[in-house]
Amino acid sequence: MTTAQQGLRVAGDTNVGKVRTTNEDSMIVDPVRGLYVVLDGMGGANAGDVASQTARDAIKEFVMQRRLTMEPRALLEAAIQHGSATVFEAAQQSRERHGMGTTVVACYVVDPKRAVVAHVGDSRAYLLRNGRVQMLTRDHTIVEELVDRGLLSAEEAERHPYKNVLSRNLGAKPDARVDLVDVELKPGDRLMLCSDGLYGYASAEAIQYLLGSGDAPEHVARDLIDLALRGGGGDNVTTIVIEAPQPLPSSTQVVRTSGAIAWWQHRARFLQIARDRGLPKNPIVRGLDPEEALELVANSLCQAIFHDLEKSTGVNVWTFAQNIAGGWFERSGEWAPLRALMDILATSARAVVDEIGVADANLGFLLSVAVSRALVVAELAIGGLLADRLNRVDAELIKVHAAMQETILDGQIDTSQDSALEDTGDRFIDRPTVPFMRPDRPVSGPGVSSELIAAIEKTITIARGRTSPRAELVKQILASLETIAIDATGNFASAVIAAREIYGIRSVDDTGIMPLFDALDQARIITAASVHQISAPDAMRAKVLRALSGAHQRLVGATTGLVLEAVAPYSDRLREVQAKTGELRDAVAKSERKRADLERKWATTIDNSQPWEKRGTTEW
Amino acid sequence: MSTEDPLARAYANLRPKVLQRLLDMRATLDPSLGRLDEPTARAQISAVLEHLGNFLATGDLGSHRAFLQTFLAMRAAEAQGPAAVLAMLVAVGDTAAQVAQDELAGSTDGAELTLLLTRVTATTARAVNDLVAEELARRVGQWNELAMRERKGQSS
Repeated sequence: MTTAQQGLRVAGDTNVGKVRTTNEDSMIVDPVRGLYVVLDGMGGANAGDVASQTARDAIKEFVMQRRLTMEPRALLEAAIQHGSATVFEAAQQSRERHGMGTTVVACYVVDPKRAVVAHVGDSRAYLLRNGRVQMLTRDHTIVEELVDRGLLSAEEAERHPYKNVLSRNLGAKPDARVDLVDVELKPGDRLMLCSDGLYGYASAEAIQYLLGSGDAPEHVARDLIDLALRGGGGDNVTTIVIEAPQPLPSSTQVVRTSGAIAWWQHRARFLQIARDRGLPKNPIVRGLDPEEALELVANSLCQAIFHDLEKSTGVNVWTFAQNIAGGWFERSGEWAPLRALMDILATSARAVVDEIGVADANLGFLLSVAVSRALVVAELAIGGLLADRLNRVDAELIKVHAAMQETILDGQIDTSQDSALEDTGDRFIDRPTVPFMRPDRPVSGPGVSSELIAAIEKTITIARGRTSPRAELVKQILASLETIAIDATGNFASAVIAAREIYGIRSVDDTGIMPLFDALDQARIITAASVHQISAPDAMRAKVLRALSGAHQRLVGATTGLVLEAVAPYSDRLREVQAKTGELRDAVAKSERKRADLERKWATTIDNSQPWEKRGTTEW
Repeated sequence: MSTEDPLARAYANLRPKVLQRLLDMRATLDPSLGRLDEPTARAQISAVLEHLGNFLATGDLGSHRAFLQTFLAMRAAEAQGPAAVLAMLVAVGDTAAQVAQDELAGSTDGAELTLLLTRVTATTARAVNDLVAEELARRVGQWNELAMRERKGQSS
């Protein structure tokens, strides 16, 4: 009884058990309407099965008639109450059936992501999510309600003689009090409805094991029934298993399978593009036969990307990049050829992925992301090597510098040598600035047109008008931004001058430098807002925004540079302390190792002094 | 690398979620970030994310380089080497792309933004490597100059 309706898989099964002669359980498995119900009838002289079947039919009829006009939760509650009223009426009409009733647990699946569960009595609903089972219902027994009110402990409830006596059922009264639970279904969730004939004769662990086994719902339903029968089968047993649609394969899975295969199938194309883009002419592979160069570099990267996509073992992109860059740097190679080689490989890879994307857009997208990430990994590996080299050169530089200082102090070098060097235009300029802060590099190429200058001036005028009269620092920054933005050279020089002026008009007091950066940020916000107020075409506004954004960036950079230079001595001290801490750590580790060795020797000595039968038992 | 407004807007909407995910995993991003208290770490990561938004909106590689230069310098002053900074910047970009892929799954904007952020991360990594290589070339030049001076001093 499996169905693919609504993307769900559902199965139900029922069994009379090993003791009873009549099956008083009933169920509804209606995939068309998404209605699934288990009922467990009670009452003497065949009344139990009548009760459960009467309620079943009434509930089904009610849902069929009203499901398009009622909200799901209200529909299920009203249907169960209608079932209760119908059973109650039937019970009144015959003395044999007087007092009959039934439990019910019902699930109405609204859509593959939402369900409503309702119950009366001790039939249960369970939810299996991510391998864990959770009970969605609470038995309506007298003992459970006494526990809820705090009148009984859980231990006392277990031993209570009335632990199976229901406090609620359908048919005892015309209207039943129904408990409802909304369930947000996740892909792969399983809901299980059952009568007490299952959980009364099977352990919770065994139920969880079968429900989470991953077997198809019809197998699970059958196995659960078998489980209850093997546990004694003392009661009728019914179960329904509802499985929410399985999740789609994740993007990772797609990349590992289809992506890796598609990439590998295009390797010849990758090599061809790399050849066309001039890989064999790169200085790094100079001296190699073109085929050999392609094999060693392009094919190796192709394989490395394949391993990364498939997450299999083998040389990955990180190792590939380290091998190529490490070997090149060892030969004192420059960055530019390596950069060019990586560019050829990256553009070839992207061209191949674009071609794959033409045939399968989704796969193309996933591969684009995955291959781009692989290439970033290559940059990371190369970056690590570059940083290592930088550190090594730095260390050498410090040594040479220190040696020179000593030589100068010893009077071995005549400082007039400087003038000789200056004469040749080759004078050494020691710039003890913070690394990476160089104010001499242009950051934008194109010049500034007169229209753009006019638009920038207008924007700054508006921005000034929007600035509080007391915000002198912000005004100063706005003026600087104007100057920097219209500076045709686009280099850091105007930004550095402006930064010195701004830095100089305020004192760095207890509040630190944050007010300065707050003002810079305010100026940025005001200018961004003011750009929209100038009357100019959108393209011009975009240019103004870009120019002012660039100016702001340069000003912040230059200001930061000044601040960093001011704190440079502290940074140096920090580095020294860190170096000393490292040395101390090494010394401590060495001492620890020495102590451990001594302890081992000591233990061996003591152990050897023991009688033979006790040796090897000395504890430390 | 210029982009349409919808992507910049989509990125701006995602920023709080990206920030939160980065804050949750900051200790694995960068040891120095892991040691910072949350407000300080929030400020640092926000600065990178904000700049990323500006770069997405303007595509101005010059400003991007300038930002990275400043960022490298600031971290250098905190005794953080360029390799650690590169790893952090890549992790930030990668997380932003991951959040875009998760949060905007199935939409065209989501796919485009994910791809754009991945490529921006690649651009960032390359720009950092360029800056480190330039710094390296400058230091090697200085070292050569100093070595030459020392040789001249010895010979005189």
